[in-house]
Amino acid sequence: MKIAMMAAGVLMSVGTAAAQLPPCTAVPGWTQQGPARSFGPDNLFDYMDGNAEAYLLYHFVGMKGISCQSGDATLNIDVSEMEDPEFAYGMFTSTRDPRLPTEKIGASGQITPRKGFFVKDKYYVEISANPEKDFSATLRAFLSVIEKNIQGRSTLPDAIGWFPTENLISDSIRLVPESVLGLRLLKTGYVAQYQSGKGFLVRELSPEAAAQVFAKLKERFGQTTPVRIADEAFTATDKYLNGICVFRKGNFVGGFANLPFGHDGVAETEKLAASVK
Amino acid sequence: MNDKTSRRNFLVAAGMALPAAAMASTSKTRPRDAMPLLASPAGLSYRVLGKTGLKVTSVGFGCMITSDPSVIERGADLGITYFDTARSYQNGNNERMVGAALKAKRRDIVLSTKTGARTKEDALKHLDTSLTELGTDHVDIWYLHGKSKPEDLSDELLEAQQIAKKAGKTRFVGVSTHSGQPALFPAVIEKLPHFDVILTSYNFSMDPGMDAVIESAVKQGLGIVAMKVMAGGFRTAKPGQKLYDTLKRDGAMLAALKWVLKNKNVGTTIPSITDMEQLDDNMTAMTVPFSDADQKILFAQLEYIRPLYCRTCGSCAGQCPKDLPVSDMLRYLSYSEGYGEFQLGRESFLALPSEVKDVRCKDCGACAIRCPNGVRVAERLQTAQELFA
Repeated sequence: MKIAMMAAGVLMSVGTAAAQLPPCTAVPGWTQQGPARSFGPDNLFDYMDGNAEAYLLYHFVGMKGISCQSGDATLNIDVSEMEDPEFAYGMFTSTRDPRLPTEKIGASGQITPRKGFFVKDKYYVEISANPEKDFSATLRAFLSVIEKNIQGRSTLPDAIGWFPTENLISDSIRLVPESVLGLRLLKTGYVAQYQSGKGFLVRELSPEAAAQVFAKLKERFGQTTPVRIADEAFTATDKYLNGICVFRKGNFVGGFANLPFGHDGVAETEKLAASVK
Repeated sequence: MNDKTSRRNFLVAAGMALPAAAMASTSKTRPRDAMPLLASPAGLSYRVLGKTGLKVTSVGFGCMITSDPSVIERGADLGITYFDTARSYQNGNNERMVGAALKAKRRDIVLSTKTGARTKEDALKHLDTSLTELGTDHVDIWYLHGKSKPEDLSDELLEAQQIAKKAGKTRFVGVSTHSGQPALFPAVIEKLPHFDVILTSYNFSMDPGMDAVIESAVKQGLGIVAMKVMAGGFRTAKPGQKLYDTLKRDGAMLAALKWVLKNKNVGTTIPSITDMEQLDDNMTAMTVPFSDADQKILFAQLEYIRPLYCRTCGSCAGQCPKDLPVSDMLRYLSYSEGYGEFQLGRESFLALPSEVKDVRCKDCGACAIRCPNGVRVAERLQTAQELFA
């Protein structure tokens, strides 16, 4: 019974993703090639053997896709539904090329000559084009149609706005789905790249859980120096994370790592902690 | 380092610099029965990757889902010498991170990447982009990514690999496969001496027939790199499944890795590593062998698959009163269930003579075949008939 309910849940979710798919004819000159495709977590490997795990990592729920054709050109349009908007944003940030500009498509999008993708609410939408050619205008047209079909949140997660902007590398903030900073203790959170070092922010379920994580982190780094930031904080050094400053505020644990020698990161950490709501 | 001369110089320097990325033998030395085990300084174990002659740690590093470069850096510091990425991982972001993390250690390690391109031109462009992103002028192994059928090994992709090899952009070439191994491996062998390495999914939850498939490649001098060594972990297994119940047991992931390493035909493994703790766990697999305790941890899954997969021992040959080729039919079922290749299983079944494929085991009163390995033959043959006929 439980399995049947789960299966029904997946089908409903995939069905929701299907509702976002436009007909190929939504952009003049394109027609559908072959049947629509549909995948869940159990069979995504059938579609993208070798890359499915990257989707599962972001709590993939289902995908619906079609292929469109115009002459010798082909577009593969895939709408993926993730568990929540944060994981969809995570999927987007893992795909985005941080060296290229983003566009305001949904919450955020990026278009290159043969690939276009965006995130909106809990959906991650991706179109890839063949053969080698500049498809950016076509990609933009299709993405625009799909974006209008998707209801829900078209703003970035709140936490993005909490990171101090000084020396922040533009469009560098990403959601790390597992082991933030390569530490299992820090399960899921945001990482922002700065000119020197990186900021991070992890939300725990409760202040008590965050306090436990904070205590274990302190123990892990060994020799630490307490500093007065938010509920509790310390600075430390680590062979791989270099200088590190960690704070806890309520159910959040955050701070800065990979700080250059002689820079304790306290000022940046204070700013981040002050912004956390 | 962009011209061929400097690239060659770099390769020579790299080969002479350190044993871990040892000078590769380009000789046609083969066959070999198993990867030779080499001395193990400081808790590391090394194996030779088939005819490439590359000496690599038996535990490598799958970078696909690693999000922080510090874990990769530490892996190299701890002595891991094999690192794997692909053009498609994180849309290229993964290669950039891996390249940055290993920059200082490039000469000490074996670095592989893959292309999922379908044309020669796209594949070669992919490789050039990979080299730029990885910050190196060559990779050690360049794989065709995710191939599962013989026809996937197209002439133009093989030509691309040859061009890349001649240009010094890759030292060796290979193919990666997640499914369809029983059909793909012979096709790879048929293309020898083109291929040097096969990167294949291999774990305790698969058809035991994989051991023979791997051995057939090793005997031809191919190096074997194992992936999906933890059976996909919890991202694949779901509550309620036997595999999930097995993997959630304490020590199951490490036991799974050690299970793979006990097969000496495996040159190295590339478990996906996301954090320092997992890295430390994996390192122990190089020095602590698979034990009875590990067997117990994996027991439930091993027992679960025992009655499902044929070991091709041949003891059932000629026993069926209806003349069914039992072992073959069970193999076709494993194509579908064990390797995810339903179509291959069905096509193989339908190619049987009609007097065989029209037989329905349920029409027999009792099955005459008693499998010495405990395979439930009648039940499995009925499944094949229902699935494929």
